[in-house]
Amino acid sequence: MSRFLFPRWSNLLLPTIILAAATIPVYAIFFVAYGLSPKTLEVGYQPEQPVPYSHALHAGELGLDCRYCHTSVEKAAHASVPATQTCMNCHTHIRPESPKLAKIKESYATGLPVPWIRIHKLPEFAYFNHSAHVSRGVGCVSCHGRIDKMEVVYQNEPLSMGWCLECHRNPDKNLRPLSEITNLAFDATAELSASEHQALKTKFDINPNDNCSTCHR
Amino acid sequence: MIVSLPPRWMLFTGALAALALAVPPFVIARVRATPDPNRAVHIFFDMDFQPKFRPQSVNPLFADGRAQRPSVLGTVARGEAGLDVHLSDGVVNGKWADTLPAGMTMSRELLDRGQQRYNIYCSACHGYGGYGDGTVNKRAMELMTNSAGPANGTSWVQAKSLHDPLVREHPLGMLFNIASNGIRTMAGYSAQIDTADRWAIAAYVQALQLSQNASIQDVPPEIRDNLKKEVK
Ligand code: HEC
Ligand code: HEC
Ligand code: HEC
Ligand code: HEC
Ligand code: HEC
Ligand code: HEC
Repeated sequence: MSRFLFPRWSNLLLPTIILAAATIPVYAIFFVAYGLSPKTLEVGYQPEQPVPYSHALHAGELGLDCRYCHTSVEKAAHASVPATQTCMNCHTHIRPESPKLAKIKESYATGLPVPWIRIHKLPEFAYFNHSAHVSRGVGCVSCHGRIDKMEVVYQNEPLSMGWCLECHRNPDKNLRPLSEITNLAFDATAELSASEHQALKTKFDINPNDNCSTCHR
Repeated sequence: MIVSLPPRWMLFTGALAALALAVPPFVIARVRATPDPNRAVHIFFDMDFQPKFRPQSVNPLFADGRAQRPSVLGTVARGEAGLDVHLSDGVVNGKWADTLPAGMTMSRELLDRGQQRYNIYCSACHGYGGYGDGTVNKRAMELMTNSAGPANGTSWVQAKSLHDPLVREHPLGMLFNIASNGIRTMAGYSAQIDTADRWAIAAYVQALQLSQNASIQDVPPEIRDNLKKEVK
């Protein structure tokens, strides 16, 4: 019986194994850090809404202020999605017979709400408050992106805890005067100097807070 | 030295494995660059979804699905009975009120607030200057003059200029009432704007009207000369 001899090519096994041992952890880290990060998984969620309502038309082209529809955003934790009545302020007279508005008309007649699909959603153990931000100089654009250019709304930021804290630890460059809160074209970082940011910080008395109990209560 | 290679099938599997490793980065890059109509899969639910209702969420127990219950028909919430007709309707002794309701005073802050609220809720149709030239009004008038007839049944009436001689006659209480309940084809805004803000808007509309129809006599004497110089 002949003895088993390793073939000559098995000399290549050792470098191959070393190469794999060196690259696979790097690869795995990359995979977890990029592939499973909220920036990949959460950003870009863009469900199809029951009515082809366009922010690019209403908030962009027509220039409606966000608060015309999201009325509670300055006063409450929740930014309300408008009732059908709000659409009917205009659409009783503007294109009432458009097929794109059929669902709105139906909702107006029956009193049942339009089943808008929720886009931005934190886990329910986290506490968030719109009025705390909007009335203290943080504009919609910092957290929602250029809504006024979106035909269909999508999520523009990860809304992860790391993302919240990034701003809470260094809010200065995100602050803007209250008159520009809903002006999405206003770029607070570019248009205000460091001393203006500092002045706003003093004016609104902002003390960055990263205590767990701020958001987990 | 001759490099001897492993058998074909082994090389082939190796190459395939390396190729397979290159796929996830492409998938990740694609997912990052494109919107996605589906929400991320929840593998660990943790306490992400809790058996409680948040504002505007769905409750399947009710026929209309609203977790936030509308008030029961025929009931009145405390403090919302509208007993103070001056505050809630802008009426005093059966006539339009000329004054703000009790508890509100005319001030710079009130007018500033009114201006801000006017710009949010009214300027879309009436324009920032009140001349009825807002963006929505312009667009709607274009739809009316469509060569094939008003588009999709549009029936728009030009938003009134607030500097129309008739509108300038309106007392404060009537302006408040128009902002609350609308007039003819204009809808009311009581659901979107709270009562104090509607009064602030009414006060601002009167200030706006005055500003567009002012004479030199309305300017305080001490700054009249300055103004005259500036105009020249
Ligand atoms: C004419 C009314 C109207 C105006 C004006 C308006 N919105 Fe909206 N908004 C809606 C409606 C209706 C929805 C729900 C449907 C959808 O998501 O498109 C919505 C949804 C949203 C959402 C997503 C909510 C979710 O489910 O997560 C955000 C964020 C938002 N709006 C921000 C803004 C901002 C910022 C502005 C100002 C630039 C603005 N909106 C102006 C009517 C309006
Ligand atoms: C302040 C007035 C105003 C409000 C409030 C408003 N819209 Fe509009 N909407 C317009 C105007 C103006 C147009 C443009 C019509 C045109 O030129 O085609 C329009 C167009 C549309 C269209 C496209 C219609 C078509 O056939 O092309 C849809 C859909 C629509 N709106 C949905 C909504 C919904 C849903 C709401 C409520 C959340 C709403 N709108 C609130 C003024 C308004
Ligand atoms: C500091 C960040 C931040 C700012 C600033 C901000 N939002 Fe939001 N918004 C969020 C988060 C986070 C959610 C999801 C809240 C949740 O799930 O409870 C959200 C949700 C919403 C929703 C869905 C309804 C709700 O409340 O859950 C609307 C509509 C909305 N935002 C509109 C606005 C508008 C309009 C502005 C500007 C006036 C604004 N937001 C400013 C972070 C922000
Ligand atoms: C772009 C900047 C920014 C982002 C992003 C942001 N915040 Fe804030 N947040 C602020 C500022 C500024 C304040 C006011 C700080 C203060 O009260 O001194 C604040 C205040 C708060 C408060 C109120 C604190 C109090 O004392 O009442 C809560 C709660 C909160 N943030 C939660 C969140 C959560 C949850 C997120 C992420 C979903 C988030 N924030 C993202 C800037 C931000
Ligand atoms: C600025 C607001 C904020 C502060 C401060 C904060 N968190 Fe969070 N935290 C969040 C948000 C928002 C989430 C949800 C993120 C997600 O998964 O989308 C979260 C998620 C978590 C989770 C993950 C839960 C899970 O199952 O995924 C843990 C654990 C946590 N927080 C612990 C803490 C601790 C400990 C602290 C104090 C050192 C803290 N947080 C401070 C906003 C905050
Ligand atoms: C969606 C467009 C729209 C908005 C927003 C709007 N209006 Fe009007 N308004 C109209 C139209 C159209 C008319 C003319 C109605 C008619 O003649 O049928 C009108 C008429 C008026 C008049 C004149 C009434 C008269 O006696 O002739 C006043 C005053 C007025 N509006 C005040 C306001 C105030 C205050 C607001 C903000 C709270 C407001 N409007 C918001 C469309 C609008």
